[in-house]
Amino acid sequence: MIELKILTKKFGSFVAVDDVSLSIPSGEFFGFLGPNGAGKTTTIKMMTGLFKPTSGQITINGFDVVKQPLEAKSTFGYIPDHPYLYDKLTGREFIYYMGGLYKMEKNDLKENVERVIDLLELASWVDKKTEDYSQGMRQRVTFAAAFVHKPKTVIIDEPMVGLDPRSARIVKDSLKQQAKDGASIFMSTHILEMAEELCDRIGIINKSKIIFLDTRENLHLHKIKYDGNLESVFLELTKEDKEL
Amino acid sequence: MFWKVSFKQDFGTAIRNIGSFIVFGSFAVGAFYFSNFVTAYLLENVKIGLFLFHRFIGMLLFVFFITINLGNMVVSFSTLYRSPEMSFLLSSPVSFLNIFIIKFLDNFFYSSGTLFMVGFSVLLGYGSYFDLPWHFYLVMMFGVLVPFMFLAACVAVIVLLVLMKLAAKINFRLLAAGIVLVYISQIYFYFKVSSPVHLVQEVMKYYPNVDLYFGMLDPLAIKLLPNFWVSEIMYFYVTNNFLSVVQYTSLLILSTAGLFVVALAVANGVFYSTWITSLSIKSLTVRSLELKNTFFSFGKRSWFSPQTEVLLKKELWQFLREPSQWIHFSVMMALLIVFLMSVSSLSIKLESPELKAVVYLVVFVFNIFLINSIALRFGFPMVSLEGNAYWSIRSAPISASTMYWIKFSSVMIFLVVLSIVIAWLSNIPYLYAQKVINQFPLPSSFVEPHPSIKILAYYSIIVTPIITATLVSINVGLGSVYSNFIEKNPIRIASSQGATMTFLLSVVYLVIILGVYYLPTTMMFVSASKNSVVNWSILSIVFLIITVPSFFIIGISHLLGIRSLRRDY
Ligand SMILES: Nc1ncnc2c1ncn2[C@@H]1O[C@H](COP(=O)(O)OP(=O)(O)OP(=O)(O)O)[C@@H](O)[C@H]1O
Ligand SMILES: [Mg+2]
Repeated sequence: MIELKILTKKFGSFVAVDDVSLSIPSGEFFGFLGPNGAGKTTTIKMMTGLFKPTSGQITINGFDVVKQPLEAKSTFGYIPDHPYLYDKLTGREFIYYMGGLYKMEKNDLKENVERVIDLLELASWVDKKTEDYSQGMRQRVTFAAAFVHKPKTVIIDEPMVGLDPRSARIVKDSLKQQAKDGASIFMSTHILEMAEELCDRIGIINKSKIIFLDTRENLHLHKIKYDGNLESVFLELTKEDKEL
Repeated sequence: MFWKVSFKQDFGTAIRNIGSFIVFGSFAVGAFYFSNFVTAYLLENVKIGLFLFHRFIGMLLFVFFITINLGNMVVSFSTLYRSPEMSFLLSSPVSFLNIFIIKFLDNFFYSSGTLFMVGFSVLLGYGSYFDLPWHFYLVMMFGVLVPFMFLAACVAVIVLLVLMKLAAKINFRLLAAGIVLVYISQIYFYFKVSSPVHLVQEVMKYYPNVDLYFGMLDPLAIKLLPNFWVSEIMYFYVTNNFLSVVQYTSLLILSTAGLFVVALAVANGVFYSTWITSLSIKSLTVRSLELKNTFFSFGKRSWFSPQTEVLLKKELWQFLREPSQWIHFSVMMALLIVFLMSVSSLSIKLESPELKAVVYLVVFVFNIFLINSIALRFGFPMVSLEGNAYWSIRSAPISASTMYWIKFSSVMIFLVVLSIVIAWLSNIPYLYAQKVINQFPLPSSFVEPHPSIKILAYYSIIVTPIITATLVSINVGLGSVYSNFIEKNPIRIASSQGATMTFLLSVVYLVIILGVYYLPTTMMFVSASKNSVVNWSILSIVFLIITVPSFFIIGISHLLGIRSLRRDY
């Protein structure tokens, strides 16, 4: 369960996220769309404790991210927009490392490391150092590391950058699997088809404000208003001269 | 890209710039007074005479030379062979030689800027004691100091190029070990040949005419070294022998120019091919520990909590798999061992208790400086080395302070233990009976150190770890304040502006400690020579004066360090 209440982030006088309120119930797959610079990454960084909100409140699975950061953080897994890893560790070591940070007990951890390596099909190169990985390989390792502690909530910033079609499939399937296992998922993405395919509900943020928020079913009604596809809805809503 | 927060930054940057200006400024002033004071003290109170004084300067310059030399070698290695920028540059239509020259000069000025400033302040302090004319400073800065340091850099880069050329044929690890060995024996032989103890004893025979020139005492090999030339230039300036000044200065400048040409020629010949070679030694690690399933691998259990365990293991592997970390570390340890071996067998027959106290303090200061440079080189970059992967800790259920304490304690425990060992070893001559060779026909005998001296030795062994803890705290704490998650090269991090500031701050701390420590040291040596009772209240007061501010500094450093970890990332 994710709850954002009138969340605001200012960088100096610039407002990057403005009064955003969202509520994502357990088990929901939420898609977070918006043009470049709209404030998606900023929102996600506040949710994951990398940025401090200027005002507002974030509750994840019942814990306030600012007041009870450790409790909140132990319930979610995060996949950042850039899959930076420790160059000198291998992929497997990195997954162990993340599991350790989530206080997993060794035997349990071992099993789960094997599970996520299978899930994301890393086996053939997971023991190489990450400095030798390609972009897509790093991406898949961060997914595996985020899933290793079986999070109740998964927060993802742009999962598809640099993935080849097969990797994209693997990642999508792994996300579906997480959703089926009951995790709620918060995913920002630029890939509209993916949002349509996976998400139960979609929110669009533009110029730091939420401008659209509805279920996939209701989206069809909107689509009919335009010429029948999500792209047009998105483009119309996020037009530069659009009145807010 | 993880943007740094830009708002408070402008204000913060301004404060930091003013702060660094103040620190740099006061450091320059401090260096001026310090060198002025030391000169006056050695010449007037200890009365070592101009000749010995300049020979000591020569020895310091030797250490200085080696330090710049090694520093340049390591920095050149990382910028010429390790920086990602290089592959881009080499694919551009600029000649290899030009790329090399630009990078070489960039390194030199990058790593020597602060040294120039310090050098100049020290020269001012020295020159003003002797009332030297204005041209002294001009000649010394541009005719002597710059060429001297540049010479060290040229030698460094030539050695580096040759090494990299050899690396194509010889195992790189073997080569690294070899070069370490060469440097160590160099230092060992230098001090063996120049034998300061012997020199002091010989010159002191002529007391009080110790300002005279005792050139016949200098071994030939020493005269070939540039540090000797520099100390000669200073001696002859003070004694108004300008012909010799001109001769030695020209010698220095010509040799520097010559070596620069050699460096360019070597670079022209081998730089590109060695760069290609360097690609193949990319993943150089300590492989003996790399064995699957050792105690240190991530799959193994340990007695630590899971978080502590993985953080420690990550630090360990990051260290062992990064050659610029472990090679540099081994070099420093090797130098330390050499230094300790020579100091622990040092026995100097000096009469004056003041002179004995000075010798004791010099060793004490040297110990602390070694520890400080390890703390700066390895402690300061610790937080920054999290790099772009820091998100993994920030988003995990672990508090920033836990990570900070783990990093801090790993350096801290190591360095405190090391400092105790160092303090004990360097105090051996003051703790245990020393063999004394008597005049024939008496057999050699053992002489116990005076009880006061023993007390002083134990005192130092207790004080050193406290100072060490403070230095580690300053370095790790400010390393976090000045953290740079973009730069990956630990050497660059440890020589960034923030690191320089940190270094200067710790030097200020050390100078104050030294000033305070001077008191009990002379007191104990005087008490030993006069056989008077030890004044315990002075010892306890000095102890308090050292520990109370130290604990205060430790607290502040950690406060600042942990607070910075909570910044937006
Ligand atoms: N640390 C920072 N300091 C100042 N401004 C920032 C910072 N981080 C983000 N911003 C600004 O906040 C706005 C929102 O950025 P954000 O990264 O959240 O966009 P985004 O929606 O993730 O875009 P994209 O689709 O390109 O990833 C941008 O205008 C950006 O310039
Ligand atoms: Mg983004």
